[in-house]
Amino acid sequence: MPLAIETTNLTRRFGAVTAVANLNLGVRAGEIFGFLGPNGAGKTTTIRMLCGLLLPSEGTACVAGMDVTRDAEAIKRRVGYMPQRFSLYGDLTVEENLDFFAGVYRLSRRQRRTQVLETLERVGLADRRAALTEHLSGGLKQRLALGCALVHVPAILFLDEPTAGADPLSRQRMWDLLYQVAAEGRTILVTTHYVEEAERCQTIAFMHAGRLIGAGSPDQCRAELGEAVLEVDAVPVMQAAEAVRATPGVSGVSVYGHTLRVFSRTAADLPRELEAALTSRGIVVRGIRPVPPTLEDVFMSLTRTAPDVERGR
Amino acid sequence: MSTLAVIGHVARKEIRQILRDRRSLVLILVMPIVLTFLFGKALETGELRQIPSVILNLDGSPDSNVIVTAFSTYDEVEIERQVATLEEAQDLLAHGKIKAAIIIPAGFMRQIESGEDAQLQLLLDGTDNTSAPIVEGVAQRVIQRYNTERAIKGLWARGVRPDRGLRLIRPVYVQSEIRYNPGRQYLSYVMPGVIGLTLQLLTVMLMAITIPRERERGTLDQLMASPVTRTEIILGKLLPYFGISVLNVATILFVADRWFGIPVADRLPLLLLLCCLFVLTSLATGLLISAVSRTQFQAVQIAVFYVLPVFMLSGAYAPIEAIPDYIRPISYLFPLMYFSRAVRAVTLRAADIVQVWQDVTVLGGFVVVFLYWAVLSFHKRVN
Repeated sequence: MPLAIETTNLTRRFGAVTAVANLNLGVRAGEIFGFLGPNGAGKTTTIRMLCGLLLPSEGTACVAGMDVTRDAEAIKRRVGYMPQRFSLYGDLTVEENLDFFAGVYRLSRRQRRTQVLETLERVGLADRRAALTEHLSGGLKQRLALGCALVHVPAILFLDEPTAGADPLSRQRMWDLLYQVAAEGRTILVTTHYVEEAERCQTIAFMHAGRLIGAGSPDQCRAELGEAVLEVDAVPVMQAAEAVRATPGVSGVSVYGHTLRVFSRTAADLPRELEAALTSRGIVVRGIRPVPPTLEDVFMSLTRTAPDVERGR
Repeated sequence: MSTLAVIGHVARKEIRQILRDRRSLVLILVMPIVLTFLFGKALETGELRQIPSVILNLDGSPDSNVIVTAFSTYDEVEIERQVATLEEAQDLLAHGKIKAAIIIPAGFMRQIESGEDAQLQLLLDGTDNTSAPIVEGVAQRVIQRYNTERAIKGLWARGVRPDRGLRLIRPVYVQSEIRYNPGRQYLSYVMPGVIGLTLQLLTVMLMAITIPRERERGTLDQLMASPVTRTEIILGKLLPYFGISVLNVATILFVADRWFGIPVADRLPLLLLLCCLFVLTSLATGLLISAVSRTQFQAVQIAVFYVLPVFMLSGAYAPIEAIPDYIRPISYLFPLMYFSRAVRAVTLRAADIVQVWQDVTVLGGFVVVFLYWAVLSFHKRVN
């Protein structure tokens, strides 16, 4: 499969801070590619470079076969961009916003008319077409923003946290739309904080402190996790977490409700050692069992073990 | 879509937004009329035709009344009444009731007759530096006229006929003829400057905030991610505001014509050309400010720092010749200087396009340079 997006040692510095460091990425045409990572990991900076909004400090990136440094304006015609922050005109109506963005992408009057109608239907805003954009709810605004990024039928879509702050229903609706778009053969690069959204992507990439710390399909990522995960059910849970953290061989602990998720590289004897350590402190152990890692586990593990990028080179 | 179509498309969007913001729209359309009217009225009083004065006649002889009457024949001073004492005159002056007191000292007429040194006294309010010289001038003319008449009468008494007497004395009068603006009205001088200032104030401010506003609202991001060019954005934003400004030009010229007696109708096409060119320079200046400002606040700040010196340095209120040599070069940087000079030429001495072509060319140059500069300073890549 040809690559829709390919970056080679893509780097961006702001003064002394390196926001993106030596990023090597390949996104296949037609896939939904999820970009995961905490705030400040460099996801938005990467997207802005790929959209031609920001020049790379070093390295190259090809989008739809064109170089982001040389052909930024040509790339802009082929891609759609939905920024993290709501960026449409609040004092224009839904339909006027769609028509305006169709126009700046140079669609003719006739193309605009059909595309605006089609997009209104697609994002489910046909009955709100005459509403002022500033009066829309958050979820509807996000759908309209997706519509504005889609109205010129781009080959590649960049979505920067398209569901941030949305309720589960709106999020489900947004993802249904994204699957439809992907089914048409378009490539989608989407950033998210939500791990369950990452599960919906064909490929995911983890970013941390400007670096790529892992990539692959969700199954691959889980399979390739270098640590085993144990679920520990013990009371009181907070004291248990403390005791587990102090046990040798444990590399990380997260508390989930009444249970702990324990990461370890040397799993074989650990359950017995943990039980001993816990009971010796008077903590009641109800159960310890190995569990298959979730993407969240992968994310936590990768973030913990990734070396911090040396800043201020 | 072609570039022209995209410019039109951007302009249509701007017009929608302008029309939707009713309060600003009313302000934009009404403010120029109000400002022109207020500025004009405020400056109209700068035109001192009749200076309030009193006469104190301490001489009291019948002849001295000739002098008193002579003063009242001049339009420049208005003799409100005669006062009886010096204290009264001083009091009126101190309270700002009058600008001048003319004092005929006791024995004044007798001194003249006997050929002694006779002195007419003037008490003037020096805080008003425009009226004092005018009263002085009037007093001098009164005395000169009185002296001439007296000499002729003296000669006549010795048998010389008045016409021959006049030839003998050959009084010298300075006859000056003011060619343009014969009434020498300050208002007609300053009105072109007022028109320019009003037009400029609005257009620079309006234009300056347009790009930072999009930047603050985040809409610029979405716009930058599209293939629209910098020129298309700049010209698309310029067009609607140019339309509004042409409306403002029409209302301002109407106000100037109706209420301030500026002869607009005689040279309407040329005045419209000058106003439109000038408005374009202001819009381009605003766009330049807009392109380099990060926030609306910053844009307004820069705009104020631009507009204020213009008031003082562009010759809108006073001739730039009055500005010291080492500061004057700055005046040439302001389009308003060329605009008010040209409009003054047109309204005061009915100049035609041939006589103001230089100013027209310079204004055109400003438009091109500022617009080009604005496009160059407006980057589609953000840092």
